[in-house]
Amino acid sequence: MPNSIHVKELRKSFDYFRKEPGLAGSLKSLFWREKLYNEALKGISFDIAEGELVGFLGPNGAGKTTTLKILSGILYPTGGEASVLGHVPWKREPAYQKQFSIVMGQKNQLWWDLPAQESFTLNREIYEVDEAAYRHNLSELTELFDIKDLLDVPVRKLSMGQRMKCELVAALLHSPKVLFLDEPSIGLDIISQDKIINYIEEYNRLKKTTVLLTSHYMRDVERLCKRVIVINHGAIIYDGSVKDLMTTYADHKIIRLRFSSEFAGNGLGKYGEVIESDKLHAVLRTERRTIAMATSRILNDLPVDDLSVEDVEIEDVIKKIFA
Amino acid sequence: MKKYISLFHINWQNSLQYRFSLVVYIGGYSIYIGVLLYLWSAIYSEGQSVGNYTLSQLITYYILQLMINSIIFSFVSWDVIDNIKTGNFSNFLTKPLDYYMYWFTINISGKMLEAVFIMITAGIISIFVSDYVSFPQHLSTLIYFIISIILGIILAFEMDFCIGMITFWLTQVRTFKYMLQTMILFFAGAMLPLDLFPPLLIKLAEFLPFRYLVYFPISIYLGKVENPLPSFAILIVWIILFLVLSRILLVRGIRRYEAVGA
Amino acid sequence: MIRVLKRYMRLYKAFFYQCLKEDMIYRSNFLTLVIMDIGFVCVSIILFKVIYGHVNTIAGWTFNQSVILIGTVGIVREMAYLTFRRGFLELGNHIRTGTFDMFMVRPIASGIHLGMRHLSISESFGEGMMGVALVIYGFIHLDTWSWIIFPLYILFLLNSLMIYYGFSLIINSIVFWVVKSQELNTVVYFFMETSRYPGDIYRGIGKVIFTFIIPIGIIATVPASALTGRLGFNFAVLSLFIGISFLCAGLFVWKMSIEHYSSASG
Repeated sequence: MPNSIHVKELRKSFDYFRKEPGLAGSLKSLFWREKLYNEALKGISFDIAEGELVGFLGPNGAGKTTTLKILSGILYPTGGEASVLGHVPWKREPAYQKQFSIVMGQKNQLWWDLPAQESFTLNREIYEVDEAAYRHNLSELTELFDIKDLLDVPVRKLSMGQRMKCELVAALLHSPKVLFLDEPSIGLDIISQDKIINYIEEYNRLKKTTVLLTSHYMRDVERLCKRVIVINHGAIIYDGSVKDLMTTYADHKIIRLRFSSEFAGNGLGKYGEVIESDKLHAVLRTERRTIAMATSRILNDLPVDDLSVEDVEIEDVIKKIFA
Repeated sequence: MKKYISLFHINWQNSLQYRFSLVVYIGGYSIYIGVLLYLWSAIYSEGQSVGNYTLSQLITYYILQLMINSIIFSFVSWDVIDNIKTGNFSNFLTKPLDYYMYWFTINISGKMLEAVFIMITAGIISIFVSDYVSFPQHLSTLIYFIISIILGIILAFEMDFCIGMITFWLTQVRTFKYMLQTMILFFAGAMLPLDLFPPLLIKLAEFLPFRYLVYFPISIYLGKVENPLPSFAILIVWIILFLVLSRILLVRGIRRYEAVGA
Repeated sequence: MIRVLKRYMRLYKAFFYQCLKEDMIYRSNFLTLVIMDIGFVCVSIILFKVIYGHVNTIAGWTFNQSVILIGTVGIVREMAYLTFRRGFLELGNHIRTGTFDMFMVRPIASGIHLGMRHLSISESFGEGMMGVALVIYGFIHLDTWSWIIFPLYILFLLNSLMIYYGFSLIINSIVFWVVKSQELNTVVYFFMETSRYPGDIYRGIGKVIFTFIIPIGIIATVPASALTGRLGFNFAVLSLFIGISFLCAGLFVWKMSIEHYSSASG
C-alpha cells in the first residue's frame, strides 16, 4: 500500500528578534536588534499509510503545528523532504490542494454571519465538486455529523461544539484523501470533545481517509488513534502503537481527593504514590491496573468528600519516555 | 499625578515600536507636499493668483497645515468609542482614574511623539522646497504661533472628547464622527484657506470655533494677523465652553451607561 | 486559458452572491455609507469650485473637465471595491490572527481569493454613483466629442483598475515583511485621493515619479482625458504599457512576499 504521507529529515528553523525591555530598549531597537534562531523541527521522519489515523502528540511548542503547516503547504521547511499523496506540499499545486483539508481548532473558516449552508455552497465552487457528488456528500455528512438543524443558523449563533462540527463538514465536502486536524478539541467542553472524536472516528472508518491529528490531550489520541507519534522540542521521541505507549509510559492515573474532615493519617501510601497531601487534600499516582480497586478502598476507608480520576499529564509521559 | 506620568511613559514606548512607520510617515508626507507643490505651481504659473496669497505663502500654508493636522487634531475619540462600545469602559469606572484626564494624558504623550516626527519631517521637506517656504519676520510672531498651537491642541482634544462622549447615546457614532470630522476639517481651513471661500462661508467660518484649529495659527505664522490677542481671548472662551461641555457629557454619559447596563 | 477564465468568472459570481448576502445583513449601514460618500464628493466639488472661483484653469483643465476627473476617481474606486479593495484592507488582520493560512491552502490564487473574500458593493457605492453622475454632468458641458471616446473611456477605466490592483498588491505585500499595517492602507487611500488632480500639473522629475512609480498622475487623468478628447495617442499607449507593467510587477511582488511569509511565519 503506497504511503499517503512521507516525511524525511524534515527541519524548520525560525529567526526572531529580541527586544530589550524599557524605553532604552525601544530606542535601541529602532537601530539594531539581536537576531535569534529557534529550531522548531530538528529533522523528523515518519511515513503514514493510506487510511491510517495517526495522532501527533506533544506539549505546546513541540513542533506539531509547524509540521502540519509544512504538510499543508503553508510553510517551507528549512531542510529535508516531504510528500503527501505524491505531491510536494509547499508547491501548493491546486491538484494537491483539492485532495486534502486542514482544520485548525479555533480558527474559523466558515463565514461568520451567514448560515453554514452558504459556506458549504461556496466551498463546492472553490473545490470544483460536481453537483451530484456534492449533494451526496452533503447529505451523508449532515447525517453523520448530525447538523441537520444547524444548516440554516448563522455561524456566529452556534456554540463552539456545533461550529466545529460544521467546520469539519465544510472540510470534508470535497472528499479529501488526507485530513489534517490541528487541535480540533481545544476550547471545547468534554462532551463536545467526545462527540467530535466519535465523528472523526466514524468518518475514517467509512471513508478510509488518512487522518493526522495533533493534540495535547492524551485522551483524544488514546480514543481515536491506533498509532501515535510523540514529538518534543522538534524531535520525535516515540512512534508506535498507542497501546504500547499507554502500557509502557502512561500506566498510571492520578487520583485527587478532598476530605470531608481533616485527615492527618500517613496511610495514604498504600493506595498509591503520594504526590501531594495536606490536611484537606491529597493527590496520588496509582497504577491503571489497580485503580478500580484503589478507589473503592479509598472510598471505603477514608473520609472522602470528593474524588476524581485523571489522566497523567502528557508532560509526565514524555518525561518518562526520556527516562 | 504620578499615574498619569507613567501612563505617558507607556504610551510613548508603544509608539516607538516600529521604525517602518517612521519611514512611511516621512515618505507619505513628502509625497503629499510634493503633489500640492505641483498643483499650486501649475495654477500660479498661468499667471493667475489665488486670493491674496503668494505662491510661497500658499505652499507654506499647506506644509503647516499638514504639520498641524498631526499635532493639533486628536484621535483619542476612536479609542473612546471602542472603549465604550466594547464595554471596557467598565474597567475605568472601577479604577481611581479620571476618564477625561486619562485620555488627555494619552493625547498629549502621543502628540509629543508626533511633534518630534513632524519636526524632523518638516525640516527635511523644507530644505528641499526652501524656495517656496516663507518664514516669520518677527520673534513675536513665532511666539504667538506657538501659543496658538498649544491652545489649539487643548481645544481640539476637548472637541474630540465630546464627540467620543456621543457614543453613550448614538449607536452609529462612527459614521456620525466621519461626517462631523469632515465638516470640522472644512471649517478649520484644513482643505483650503478660509479667506479663499466665498463671502458667505467666510462669515459662517468666523462664528465657528473650528477656525482656531488650523486657519488661525497659520494666519499668525504668515503674518496676516495684526493683533492676535483679542482672538486669543475668544479662543480661551471656547476652550472653557468645551471643557464644561466635556464634563457635563461625561457625567451624563456615565449615568446613561450604567442605566443601560453596559 | 479560457478554462481558467471561466472558472474565475464562476468563482466571482459565487463570491459576489455570498458577499451580497452578507452585506444585506448590515442593511442599515448601507444608507449611511451612501450618504457619507455623497457628502465627501460634494465637499470635493465645492473645493474645486472655490479654486475655480479664483482661477480659470488648472494646468489647462476647465471646471467641467475637472468634474469629469473627480467623477472618474469615484468610478475607479467603486470598481476596485467591487473586485478586491475591501478584501485587501483586511490582510493585516488575517496575518495577525493567523487566518491568512486559509488562503494559502485553497486551490485559488491567494491574491484573487483575498480580494473576493470581501467584495463590497456598499462601501463605495455612493461615490461610484456620484462618479457616474459627475461624469455625465461634465460630459454634457463638453464642446466637442465623438463616439470613439466611449469605448476608449471604458478601456482606460479597466487599465486604471489594473494599475490600482497592481499598486495595491505591491503596497499590501509589505505586510508580509513588516508586521504593522495600519499606515499601508492609508497610503493606498491617499493614492486615490491625490489622483483627483489633473496629471498635467506635474513637470520634470515629478512627472516621471507620478506617472511611472506612483501613477497618481495617470490613474484618473488618462480615462478622463480620453473622454474629454485631451488624450494623445503616444501617451495612451504608454498608459496601457504602464497598466500591464503594474499588474505584472504587483503579481510578482505578491508571489515573492508569500514565499517569504511561508518560510518565516511561526
